[in-house]
Amino acid sequence: MLTKTNPVLSDGTRVSDLIYPDTREVQMRVLSDREIYELEMDKIFGKTWLMLGHESEIPNPGDFMVRDMGEDSVIVSRDKSGEVHVLLNVCPHRGMRVTLTDCGNSQIHKCIYHGWAFRANGDFVGAPVEKEKMHGSMLEKAELGLKRARCTLYGGLIFATWNIEGPSFEEFLGDAKWYYDLLFLRSDKGMEVLGPPQRFIVNANWKTAGEQSAADGFHTLTLHRWLGEIGNYSKKGEGEGEGGDLSPEMYGVEVSSPHGHALRCIDLARKIRRITGLDPEKLDVEEKLKALPPAGMTVDMVDQLKNNLSEDQLKVLTSMPPQVGGMFPNILFGFVYIPQPDGTVVGSMTMHTYIPRGPDKLEFCNWIFAEKDAPPELRQKMLEQTIQLFGTSGMVEQDDSDTWPHMTLSAKGAMGRHMTLKYQAVFEKGAPEGWPGPGIVNEGFTKDDTQWHWWLYWNELMNAE
Amino acid sequence: MQTNQEKQDGVEVGAYVPIGSEAYSEIVSFLYEEAMLLDNLRLQEWSERLATDLVYTAPLRQTRLGVDHEKTFIRSVQHFHDNYRSILGRIMRLSGKSAWAEDPPSRTRRMVTNVLVRETSCPNEFAVTSYLMMTRSRFSADDVDVISCERRDIIRREETGEFKLARREALLDQSVLGTPNLAVFL
Ligand code: FES
Ligand SMILES: [Fe+2]
Repeated sequence: MLTKTNPVLSDGTRVSDLIYPDTREVQMRVLSDREIYELEMDKIFGKTWLMLGHESEIPNPGDFMVRDMGEDSVIVSRDKSGEVHVLLNVCPHRGMRVTLTDCGNSQIHKCIYHGWAFRANGDFVGAPVEKEKMHGSMLEKAELGLKRARCTLYGGLIFATWNIEGPSFEEFLGDAKWYYDLLFLRSDKGMEVLGPPQRFIVNANWKTAGEQSAADGFHTLTLHRWLGEIGNYSKKGEGEGEGGDLSPEMYGVEVSSPHGHALRCIDLARKIRRITGLDPEKLDVEEKLKALPPAGMTVDMVDQLKNNLSEDQLKVLTSMPPQVGGMFPNILFGFVYIPQPDGTVVGSMTMHTYIPRGPDKLEFCNWIFAEKDAPPELRQKMLEQTIQLFGTSGMVEQDDSDTWPHMTLSAKGAMGRHMTLKYQAVFEKGAPEGWPGPGIVNEGFTKDDTQWHWWLYWNELMNAE
Repeated sequence: MQTNQEKQDGVEVGAYVPIGSEAYSEIVSFLYEEAMLLDNLRLQEWSERLATDLVYTAPLRQTRLGVDHEKTFIRSVQHFHDNYRSILGRIMRLSGKSAWAEDPPSRTRRMVTNVLVRETSCPNEFAVTSYLMMTRSRFSADDVDVISCERRDIIRREETGEFKLARREALLDQSVLGTPNLAVFL
């Protein structure tokens, strides 16, 4: 019954009927249904650009690491000339995994089953006992290489897609790129990872994490309430509400995109006022950058920003910098300013991917970043702080990873699956006056629009070819 | 037993403290009591057994070929990278009103075995390795998460005679952890 466009599930329901555009609801069946999951593997994970890591994880020729595109294992390798390749980790002979380790360095990847060998760029080298031609003569050697994904680097981040003829990565990011550049292309030398990613399993549908990453600011107030009660945000400025109230943090600008990307840009003036005691109204762009440098940068580094960003971009970076958000379908980024007990600020730069492992399982991958030329003491502080707040043992994200499984369970009940996720809190103001950036822009207290746009793109892809 | 000088995490370790000796029993008691306190959510009392210069880490693990065994331990990004202050911060959070990752709390069972104790170049410090197998039961799931690791500790005898945990490195076995977070201590 599955047709290519506008698919119909085996009980006769159209996938498009699970989304109610007029009332901005999504039927919870999408979080548990195996048929929908299988469709997603082709129509989403087989089509969009996916993040696999950062090139600083494989700095040398021959370095490789094994990552995932949907449920497909891929080898991400750097060849002799330094070029990065993304290759399906499936031996074209009989389907054994070519590489069984998580990473390593090798110019040749040799399958342990019958010994077919491949170069770091995926080319087939040959099978043992050359004169017997054990790969046969029906196919040319050139046709027997590892299946290659289309791959691109953006700020050193490695993205790949199976959609060989599809949109370029820049087209995929669209208007959102202008904002991501503020994070990933801001410095002269760029960022690097501080180590391989943390990895752990959460028994939840990947979309519970995916849609939250499309900038669910609102949950912070309740799920992460401890931050205001006893955590890093418990010290407040005057007249900013009581203890656990994090609502002042919820005002800002939210950017979304027809491709489901989303960014929460949070008001910096409040932070400058509270942390430095200065009046942000009286500071120009340069002074603001020096008063409170972007997360992960030092005062000495902020001059670099002018080399890499436009005046308009600097304006946003010094008034409403993007701090959390996601890229469709399964990426979260956090570039956050964390107040320290001594009144200073230390940034945390982190990215996650949520790899689908079946309708009710995901693998959480967490990378921690620093600017390449940030001073060692800052890098060390960022590393420890980020581990303590985000990822496996992170005091913030512990609570998220315990929430998503329950949504997934809810979506299994005969009643529960027909309940809906609601995105009915709608922005009313639009962009602030004089806002210099592109995209769908809304100002005010965090609302549901960005996540709703995430679902609209999900729906669009699910119903496309 | 081996007596030559070796290093464990940069600390010179010497002779094994014989199993069954008084010092050995005291250290095993310390580890058992610690497991009991943690399993019974007596975090405050557990924290009183931590040295103020505590370093508490849990490396990532990666699957590598046998010849690269040492490279399976990743000590750049880790699962835990904590000190005394940050552990107290975690305890404060867990003891607060809104630590949903552990409220309702997991029912945990920490089995501590294979305890080996060695002397170190500091007469009041012991290098202690132990195996930890923790089962973690959450809500009404009919299976438990299994968290297994080798712990490499430095346990110090204070002047008062009390033991304190000064260093713990938990070498987890899984490269991809089968539990949704480490909101529990290893
Ligand atoms: S399956 Fe790889 S060589 Fe046969
Ligand atoms: Fe969260």
